[in-house]
Amino acid sequence: MSSGTIALVGNPNSGKTTFFNALTGSNQYVGNWPGVTVEKKEGSFTYRGKEYHVVDLPGTYSLGAFSEDEIVARDYILTGNPDVIINVIDASNVERNLYLTTQLLEMGKRVVIALNMVDEAKRRDIEFDIQGLSKRLNLPVVPTIASKEKGIEDIIKVAIQVMEKKPPVKSPLKYNEVIEHHINHMEEVLKGENLPYPLRWTALKIIEGDREVIKKLNKSILNQKAINYIKDFFKYHSSGDFELEIIDARYAFAHSIVDGTINRPEEDVITITDKIDKIFTNKYLGVPIFAIIMLIVFQLTFALGQDTLGGVVAYLVEGLGSLIESFLLGINAPGWLIAFMIEGVINGVGTVIEFVPIITVLYLLLGFLEDSGYMARAAYVWDDLMRKLGLQGKAFISMIIGFGCNVPGIMSARTLDNKKDKMITILINPFMSCGAKLPIYSVFIAAFFPNHGGLILFSLYTFGIIVGLILAKIYSKTLFKGESSYFIMELPPYRIPTIKNVLRNMWDNVYGFIKRAGTTIFVVITLLWVLAVLPASAQPYGEFSILGRIGAFLAPIFKLAGFGTWQESVALFAGIPAKEAVIGTLGMLYASEYVEEGALLVNAIRQHFTSLTTLSYMAMTLLYTPCVATLGIIKKETNSYKWMIYMALSSFVIGWIVAVLIFQIGSLLGFS
Amino acid sequence: MLKEILRIINREGYISIVSIAKELNISGQLVEDGVKQLVRMCYILEEKTGEDCSTFCGNCPFAKNCSKEIVKTYNISDKGINFLKK
Ligand SMILES: Nc1nc2c(ncn2[C@@H]2O[C@H](COP(=O)(O)OP(=O)(O)O)[C@@H](O)[C@H]2O)c(=O)[nH]1
Repeated sequence: MSSGTIALVGNPNSGKTTFFNALTGSNQYVGNWPGVTVEKKEGSFTYRGKEYHVVDLPGTYSLGAFSEDEIVARDYILTGNPDVIINVIDASNVERNLYLTTQLLEMGKRVVIALNMVDEAKRRDIEFDIQGLSKRLNLPVVPTIASKEKGIEDIIKVAIQVMEKKPPVKSPLKYNEVIEHHINHMEEVLKGENLPYPLRWTALKIIEGDREVIKKLNKSILNQKAINYIKDFFKYHSSGDFELEIIDARYAFAHSIVDGTINRPEEDVITITDKIDKIFTNKYLGVPIFAIIMLIVFQLTFALGQDTLGGVVAYLVEGLGSLIESFLLGINAPGWLIAFMIEGVINGVGTVIEFVPIITVLYLLLGFLEDSGYMARAAYVWDDLMRKLGLQGKAFISMIIGFGCNVPGIMSARTLDNKKDKMITILINPFMSCGAKLPIYSVFIAAFFPNHGGLILFSLYTFGIIVGLILAKIYSKTLFKGESSYFIMELPPYRIPTIKNVLRNMWDNVYGFIKRAGTTIFVVITLLWVLAVLPASAQPYGEFSILGRIGAFLAPIFKLAGFGTWQESVALFAGIPAKEAVIGTLGMLYASEYVEEGALLVNAIRQHFTSLTTLSYMAMTLLYTPCVATLGIIKKETNSYKWMIYMALSSFVIGWIVAVLIFQIGSLLGFS
Repeated sequence: MLKEILRIINREGYISIVSIAKELNISGQLVEDGVKQLVRMCYILEEKTGEDCSTFCGNCPFAKNCSKEIVKTYNISDKGINFLKK
């Protein structure tokens, strides 16, 4: 026979489960709350020969009606008739936890506070005036350390005393005059009705606009007059800022309790974030710091991804190639199959796979920046700069996303309802260099600028941003005039990135890259391979193959930009289905010319390019026509083929002009 | 607290959890709670980026990466603006 029921209420992570275990030991059982999937934990303990029942309510931050947990907890408190409630509070976060406490107080129950995790709070140099707290709250407050079972006996004693001797508390919380006036009126109307909940609480909840409560008060409970009164109330007060005022009053109450009774040194995360932000989001330093950070990212990407790890994968791919070749020779496979596997798959698709390390390192570093909270700062400083340029800062967020892939970059413009902002954001996104272009740069850098990889990568990405910004300015002066819409960005506190998040981000990108190599790139390369070995009369991969003829037809376009061979032209067009195919195609076409082992493609590129044409080729790849997936999403988001075609052609022309300028000016200056 | 948070957000044009916490002398978590409350009551609206139901991601290999939010952005709603005017 139980001598009383104790309910445990508290925020998540207040240590409530630990507290429950300390209280009940092994005397517990788990069930479900009726009608919902929320777990119900119950148990019991014996104190001085009497047995007490304990109900552990779901951990919640509030007792509103915003989740099943909240509704279960509050219904139990109001209608389950616990004899006393132990409110477990995290001592390091008292003010936050008191929001729930104020709601408990308003329910008019017997409450005892367990100030839990005081050890942790002391470690953080938080000072308490426990008596002061207790006095202001008009509730017993008992410090506990649930994990060490300290204070448990004390709180049991206090809880049982309260249960047996004390009347339920009256809420000390008073609202402003208008709200109190409405509460009083509502109480008048509801008085004498057969309410399932306490009178004042019910009146307050109606005014707060609590749907669950209002739903419950139907005809079977209220008379017509009361129902009409409530209906009228909402007719006249539909805009309802009462909810905000009521919630705010609870926060103000919580603040008034801790003010002077708890001395909390400023949290480290606040101090540190504030210090870092003074520099990182500084008006003048913000953008240069962003540039330096990105430069470091690219340097590391190149140093680790290419120089250190790059060779390993290349070695593996080549090793695999030899294995497959000897296997196929061993089983007397037909010549075309061997050619396809070696020249098409290994030299084509395999070349793309060799860039997995560099992709891995880049996204590892970017994920680190994202998870630490830095990317939000980058967006913030750019937002500031772009607003000054008369541009919508939100475009920069899309641009950052575009560095991964332009498709989601463009999709993120969806949240902009202003046509001008939306169109400009979409139209400049393809100039952000996406991950698929990284292998192209890497090969060319390895061939000509192995010692300045990071710098060149950085310059390319920056150049893409600059072209995007210039175009954005032009568009906003010509095609899409008008005001930019307004938005608000959140700067979360900095935090140490979690390994899990960073690795997940990296893996998602690497996986995507590999999967694309195995699907889209494989299909494109296979098609090109067929075109490169047909007709049978022509030399395979030669200029009289179908592919060679197509390339020879296209090549003159790029003469002025310095890279006029048919292979290079064909590769650029192969990049339109998917950018990685540029490298795959070059790998396939050039590899047949050079049979020595080792960095095959890099050597071939050294033969066919100069450092100047490398620069113009990389600029072309950076800027020219986006891949079909990107074009597709442009069509979808702008709902017009016109803009899609415009994008495809204009970017080609822009890329071409820049490539030509680089080559021509470079030649004039005597570079080669 | 909610009123003050709303006013600061409107004044600054961005939400820095830390500087709001410093200004109001409350914990960062409490500011985050406050922002969530304001969003729940539609004084400020959270803008969603990335994937939504009308996007066909199909077997795009990057689908998983697409919907992640690098930066959270908001707007002050008409309700919020009207409230601030009062
Ligand atoms: N230092 C300290 N840690 C505690 C205390 N009580 C609980 N914890 C720890 O806090 C974490 C969260 O506790 P838990 O009981 O799961 O929290 P719940 O979400 O409220 O149920 C666990 O790792 C516990 O071991 C305490 O009094 N002091």
